[in-house]
Order: sequence, then structure tokens, then C-alpha cells
Amino acid sequence: MKLWTTVLGRLGTVFIAISLALLLVSIIPQIQMFRSEGAGSLLPGGIRVVFNQPNLTPQEEVQLTVTVEGKATVYLLEMNLELQMVNGTFDYAFDVTDLQENSDLIIWEHEVENEEYKRSYTPTRLMNATIVVYNKPDSENAYFQYEVTLTSSLAPKEKVLTIAYFAAPIGIILAIPWLLNFWKQRKTKK
Amino acid sequence: MGKGRPFLEVLASAIHEDYRFPLLEVFAFLYALGTFVFASFGVSITALGTTGQAMATVKETVAYGAVSSLLSMPLLIFIILIFKNIAYGLGSDLEKRIIQTYFSYPIKRWGILTAKLLSALGVALLLFLGMQISGLYILAPDIILPQLGTVLLTYVASLSYPLLIAGIMLLLTLKLRRGGISLVVGLVLYFAMSMVTGIATIVAIFTESPLAFQIISAISPSLILQQYYAGTLGDFWAPAFSEVLLYTGVSYVFVAVVFVLGYIYFSRRLNL
Repeated sequence: MKLWTTVLGRLGTVFIAISLALLLVSIIPQIQMFRSEGAGSLLPGGIRVVFNQPNLTPQEEVQLTVTVEGKATVYLLEMNLELQMVNGTFDYAFDVTDLQENSDLIIWEHEVENEEYKRSYTPTRLMNATIVVYNKPDSENAYFQYEVTLTSSLAPKEKVLTIAYFAAPIGIILAIPWLLNFWKQRKTKK
Repeated sequence: MGKGRPFLEVLASAIHEDYRFPLLEVFAFLYALGTFVFASFGVSITALGTTGQAMATVKETVAYGAVSSLLSMPLLIFIILIFKNIAYGLGSDLEKRIIQTYFSYPIKRWGILTAKLLSALGVALLLFLGMQISGLYILAPDIILPQLGTVLLTYVASLSYPLLIAGIMLLLTLKLRRGGISLVVGLVLYFAMSMVTGIATIVAIFTESPLAFQIISAISPSLILQQYYAGTLGDFWAPAFSEVLLYTGVSYVFVAVVFVLGYIYFSRRLNL
């Protein structure tokens, strides 16, 4: 009985120590690597690339806020686009056929209609990421505003915090009998 | 009394001595913190651009880069812990003649040493690998799971040299019956490897021969692994995967020999 109290108690204190370390990791602030904002109108069938980042790492997070007047679809695609000279200005070489042909590269898509839409994404491997806003051919003209930020952190905050929140109470429950016993023994020794 | 009970009693006593409260908790905290604070996937991206002589695929290189970055600080913490356990833990038991109490147990000498080593190395290794693999899984499951072989090989190769030094420290501690000197020798040996690697790099570059690297790889296979996955040591050496496995295997033969010598000394020559 005493052996198990000790084993479980020390396991509990280790859990508490790990959860404290994870809490510390989660409070280390993120660094903003990139920020972009803009607005524009989309004709039916029109498409606009709002973010393109090669080699997005699991320590980076893309945060997107898009407000649409009308109806448009936001896509996060696993692809890297190259800048090309189009009509005298640099733009990404991307059109609707790319979207239709590469449907397997869609990580998520969301239809936004007269609302503000927020979403963040942290990859679980190294990947290329592109965010596009697309107005389907059967829709009317749409106007949109967007803001994209790319932040870098030590670890995905939500995952780390979830583990810390689970580990700490489990650790405390496991450690209490052993800590009480430990305290009693110290008192008796004194 | 069952045959396993004395062994478990020695093991419990060794764990109690090696990991007094709050030592285990402090090391668990440092492992967890070190795993995330030093993790960097930038290393992987940089490596992708410089894989001159790398023989591995891009995915393998990325996995290797991620594991290497996570390993850096926790490996040093692990080394400090095992050095402390062997030099201070076992050394103190020999110096204070506590080990003689264990000899009165109905258990063979090799059983006592196994229990001591399980506590000194096994528990530390369990905590280290547990934290590392969990950290990797939290950070990048889609890099790690498909490349589990690369991940495990990186750990096996990286742990070889610390384990070899731990074996040498064990021999020294048993011979001198105190841990202070063996702790100093262990730390010197560990830090000497980076100096030796630096000298070997210069020799290899000037001679355009990988011989110096090959010799070091036989005791520290993380070097050949670095060349295989990242190819940063020069264009004159392009080791194949079978060579990586061979050098890793040879390094563990050295580790095994040193530990077997330790067992023989403890069982037959240690006159207490």
C-alpha cells in the first residue's frame, strides 16, 4: 500500500511539474512574422490570393479574418504559388481551374455570406499554404476585407494548454496522499 | 520470499536514493521545458537547402532536423542526470559501504548492479524518451509518425556516446570506489567530443578524406547520421544507410563491452 502511494504520488508530482513547464511554454508570447490586410471586390467567378507561404512549420499559426458583403468562399490550400508579371504588375499565377483541378489540396473551405469570418490554422508538418477568396460564377458581385497574420510560437498553444489543464488536476489527485504522508513524516522527524 | 522481491527492494531503494524529492520533478520540468524551448523546424528548412551530400529523402531530413533540434538541451539534461546517478549515487553507495547491505540480500551481485543501473539509467531514459516522443507528437504528428524509423534511429545514435561515457564512469566509479573523479572524467569526455569533432572536420577538409569522421562515428554515430540526413560535413563523404546502421551497431558494441566489463568487475573483482 505504502509503495503504491509513493509510486503514484511521485507520478503525480511529475505530472504537476510537466504541466507547470507546459503552462510556462504557453505563456511565452508569440512573435508576429507577417501581417497583411486589404480589401477588394470580386466579380462572379473572380478569385483573389490573400496569403501564400512556402514551408509553413508546426510552430507557426495563420490567423485569418475576412468580412464579406455578398457571398464568397474562403479556401486554405496546400500549395505554393509563384509570383508572375501579369499586366505590368506582379501577381500570383492562379486561377479557378487550379482550384478545380487541385481539390485534394483543399485543407478547409468555408462559405461566407454577409458576415465576418475568423479562423486560425497550425499545420502538423512542413507545408506550403495559400489562402484564396473565390466568388462562384452563379453568385453576384461580392466585396471583401481581409486581415492575415502569421505568428510563430514555441508550440501550439491550445494543445499545450489542454495537456497542462489535464495533467495538473490528475497530478494533484495522485500526489495528495503521498504529500500528506511526506509532510507527516517530516513533522515526526522534527 | 519470491526471487524477484529482493531485486525489487534493491531497485526501490536505488530509485528512492537517485530521485529524492524534488529531483525527479525538477528534471521532468526541465525535460518538458527544454523539449519545447529548443524545438525548431527552421533547422529542417535550412537543411533542405544545404543537403549537398545528403542521401536521405526530404521527409527524412525534415524529421531528422526536428528531432535534432528537440534533442539538443534535453540530451544535456539527461547526461547530467545519469552522470549524477552513476558517479554520485553508486559512488556514494560504495564509499559509505551501503552496497554491502545489498550483498546480504538473497540476490546475485549482477542483479544488484542491474537494479542500480535500471534506476540510474532506465528511469532517466524513460523520462527523457517519454517527454521527447510526446513533445514531437504534440508539435508535429504528421512529420513524426510517417518517419518513425528516422526518429528512433536519431535517438539511438544520439544516445550511444552518452551511454558509452556512462559505462566508462561506471568502471571508474567501481575501480576508485568513489564518484567525484569519474564525474569529472565523464564531463571532460563529453565536452571533449565536440573539440575532437572540430579537429576531425579540419583534418577531413584538408585531406579530403572521411577517415577522421568514420573513426569518430564508430563511437559517436550521430556524426554519420548528420552527414547522411543533412550532408553538412562536406562533399567528400556520402555514407549509405547501411553504413549508418553499421556504425551505430559498432558504437553499441563498444557500449556493451564497457558495461559487460563493469558487470564482471562488480561480480568478481569488487572486494568488499
